[in-house]
Amino acid sequence: MLFISSALAEDTALIDYYKSIRCLVCDGQNILESDTEFSVNLKEQIKKKFENGLSIEEINNELISIYGEEISFKPSSNHYLLWTSPFILLLLVFFLIRKKYF
Amino acid sequence: MKKTLLVPILGFLILAICTFYYLNPSPEKKTKQKKIADEVFTTQTFFKNEIVDKNNLGDFYIVNFFASWCKPCLAEHPLLMAMKEKGIKIIGINFRDDEENFTTWINENGNPFEYIIRDDGTIAYKMGLIGVPETYFITNDEITNKIQGPLFYEDVEKYL
Amino acid sequence: MINIAGHIFLYLPIVFAVFYYTRSAKLNELHTVLTTRAIYICSLIPFILLLLAFATSNFQTLNVLQNSYINDPFIFKVTSAWGSHEGSILLWVFLINFYGLIFSFFHKKNLIHKQLIFISQIFIIYILLSSNPFVSVNIDVNTQGLGLNPILQNLLFVIHPPILFLGYLGLIIPFVIASFVLTTKEHENYLFQQMLLWSKISWFFLTVGITLGSYWAYSELGWGGWWFWDPVENVSLIPWLLNTALVHSLQVSIKNNQLKLWSLNLALYGFIAAVFGTFLVRSNLIVSVHSFAADPLRGLFLIIIIGYLLVTTIRMNLKSISLFNKDTFQIVSKESFLLINNIFFICAALTVFIGTVYPLFSEMIFQTAVSVGAPYYNFTFNILLAPIIILMAFAPQIKWQKNETQNKLKPLIILITSFLISLICYYIFNNPFFAISIFITAPLFIKSLIVLFTKFKKDLRFYSQWLAHLSIGFFIIAAVSTEQFDTEENLLFQKGENNQITLNSGGSAYIENIQNIEMPNHVQILLDMKILEGNKTYSLSPSKNIYQPSGQITNEVSVVNNFLHQYYATISEIESDLVSINLVYKPYINLLWFSAIMLIVGIFGSIIRKI
Repeated sequence: MLFISSALAEDTALIDYYKSIRCLVCDGQNILESDTEFSVNLKEQIKKKFENGLSIEEINNELISIYGEEISFKPSSNHYLLWTSPFILLLLVFFLIRKKYF
Repeated sequence: MKKTLLVPILGFLILAICTFYYLNPSPEKKTKQKKIADEVFTTQTFFKNEIVDKNNLGDFYIVNFFASWCKPCLAEHPLLMAMKEKGIKIIGINFRDDEENFTTWINENGNPFEYIIRDDGTIAYKMGLIGVPETYFITNDEITNKIQGPLFYEDVEKYL
Repeated sequence: MINIAGHIFLYLPIVFAVFYYTRSAKLNELHTVLTTRAIYICSLIPFILLLLAFATSNFQTLNVLQNSYINDPFIFKVTSAWGSHEGSILLWVFLINFYGLIFSFFHKKNLIHKQLIFISQIFIIYILLSSNPFVSVNIDVNTQGLGLNPILQNLLFVIHPPILFLGYLGLIIPFVIASFVLTTKEHENYLFQQMLLWSKISWFFLTVGITLGSYWAYSELGWGGWWFWDPVENVSLIPWLLNTALVHSLQVSIKNNQLKLWSLNLALYGFIAAVFGTFLVRSNLIVSVHSFAADPLRGLFLIIIIGYLLVTTIRMNLKSISLFNKDTFQIVSKESFLLINNIFFICAALTVFIGTVYPLFSEMIFQTAVSVGAPYYNFTFNILLAPIIILMAFAPQIKWQKNETQNKLKPLIILITSFLISLICYYIFNNPFFAISIFITAPLFIKSLIVLFTKFKKDLRFYSQWLAHLSIGFFIIAAVSTEQFDTEENLLFQKGENNQITLNSGGSAYIENIQNIEMPNHVQILLDMKILEGNKTYSLSPSKNIYQPSGQITNEVSVVNNFLHQYYATISEIESDLVSINLVYKPYINLLWFSAIMLIVGIFGSIIRKI
């Protein structure tokens, strides 16, 4: 591999963002952790856009429109069933328990 | 209480259906991108030092991402050469490669491409490239099919 | 030879088992015990044979040919026995029978062993049908083997699956005891005590296994992360969470005769969750770092097994639901606190489960592929766990069954004090997450201090419980500060330039030496790097290994301790004239491992108290 992974930014916001992007050619790793061409290129592209003044949110939207939702480890809020189910479950169990035990 | 016992069964059924659903995964990956990146038509090509001429390409052409460091690219190379023989126009996009290695690679293996564009990753990003090699089939300026990984004879049989 | 013997000893237990099922009514007690032990021992042998085949590099066995290389170090030759799918399922069977054999000395009830043997036979049939490791292959004499995945050439990595499996399969004993209780409707206390002992043993191994796996990921994967919310990690976490709930609810069942049905179901679902985890990994339904390249057909068999376990569980529940009295609880009492703890743990387990399978569900229903990763779990899981930690500070000292009203002031004072401490922390460190973690854990620490200086009977039970609870407090502090305060730098050294680079943290780094070392099965490029910080020097030696015969490259991490903190270095790129190194500073990471060890010691203490 000839390109050096110099895409590592000092900006912590970017590093945090890299952690939430999935490397699609690796199994379940994020692009910060993986050294594949895919990840290295994506890191470079994202950094370039970030330095050109795009916000993380804009970059994220563009990324999702290109690669699909799969690219992000953070499912969008459209998946409300996913995001709310733990708390719905908790309330439900508490309700059932209250009736049964107290 | 008795009814709550059925909840795990429901969960299990969903899981079982999922398993059956994924038993035969569909080989076709739906392309999310329909359009080709503009940069393909605005960047200087490598050997010819001009920009890609859309009129020269015709209705149907192929965009192929490759690199000299990529071993599977070598495997699909003969197929690309064969398609060139048949008169199919291929735009080669050289993905993140060293210029010297790339030219020797082309000289050694032959050049199946009508145009070659060297890309630092920008075009690849815009096209949603997963990895090299990757091939896009384009009809009337729209991506109709996309093959990730090396081409096999079956993929391009109808063009040969 | 080994292949034939392997087949014989795979079929033999099935034959014995059939004999045992058809004739068990006529056998006397001694003969029954002997037959069960014979079945257990026979089922142990195939795995031992596979170990032997790997140790002697017997390339007539296809599995050995595919997963071994003649020049591998001996220890890795042996451990690669469970590196493949076939081998690890055989290990699974081995461990079920190992537990069965030991359990047969504790407990001789025929019915329990009948079920245990039945489950183990299902897995043996599964091996014979879809993943037989003893397939023969004709080879010439000079074969060297196709090589072991380099990732498996790490001692930590190869020992963590057996330990995790010991944990998973330890759950089979509570499972069979619970189904015994439900089918025979005998629910004496000693059965629950046995369940508690075995679930603690499983809990011990699960904790050790998860810790080792996490430490492996930290020390091998190269980016300083220690938990990735990878599907495989998730499926090991689900049984752990359920088992934690079980260990707590069993206290109520034993001491107070309540929550019995609840505990039994936890035991049943705990084992099902363990099998489910295996199913998810083997079937390759969900992509993950650890995936074996397996076909979904194997998953199909496993889902049938899960289906069977689930159906028996529910059928047993329906049969004996009327047996158990309605439990009633006082709101402020130990049992109600333990019940609340259980609810949170179960919800946490379900959350992990939902997050893990949601991508499958989403792709099928909505036709969109999603990835559920750290952001989701960090959000939901942390909210679910926070209340438990606060409860944990107060629950151990609350009395059984009593609804006391006198001590309401004390907890309130502790809570207010912790809130003030966390405010101060927020003011100093300016990090909300750290402040919240302080608020959550402070009651635990304050309470521990108070408890240590109060006079009452302090025995092993007290110490192990206290140690385990305290370890969770330390864990949370360590985890949050590692994640919040770590710094990362990418250092680029170029030939001919000044060799010294100044770090953001104030120190400086330089490279002393680069060398190539030839090993029997790999070439190692070893870097010698020094970090100067004040008048202290830390040396780091990250390396890249290039493995034969595959040519695969692995990165070896190098760490150096600075009390509880660590410098963590990996080579990200190396060429003839330049080296780039990724250097991470991990504060309090050692506290994290220390807390895990504390928890393990705590669990161990509570196990020896029982034996």
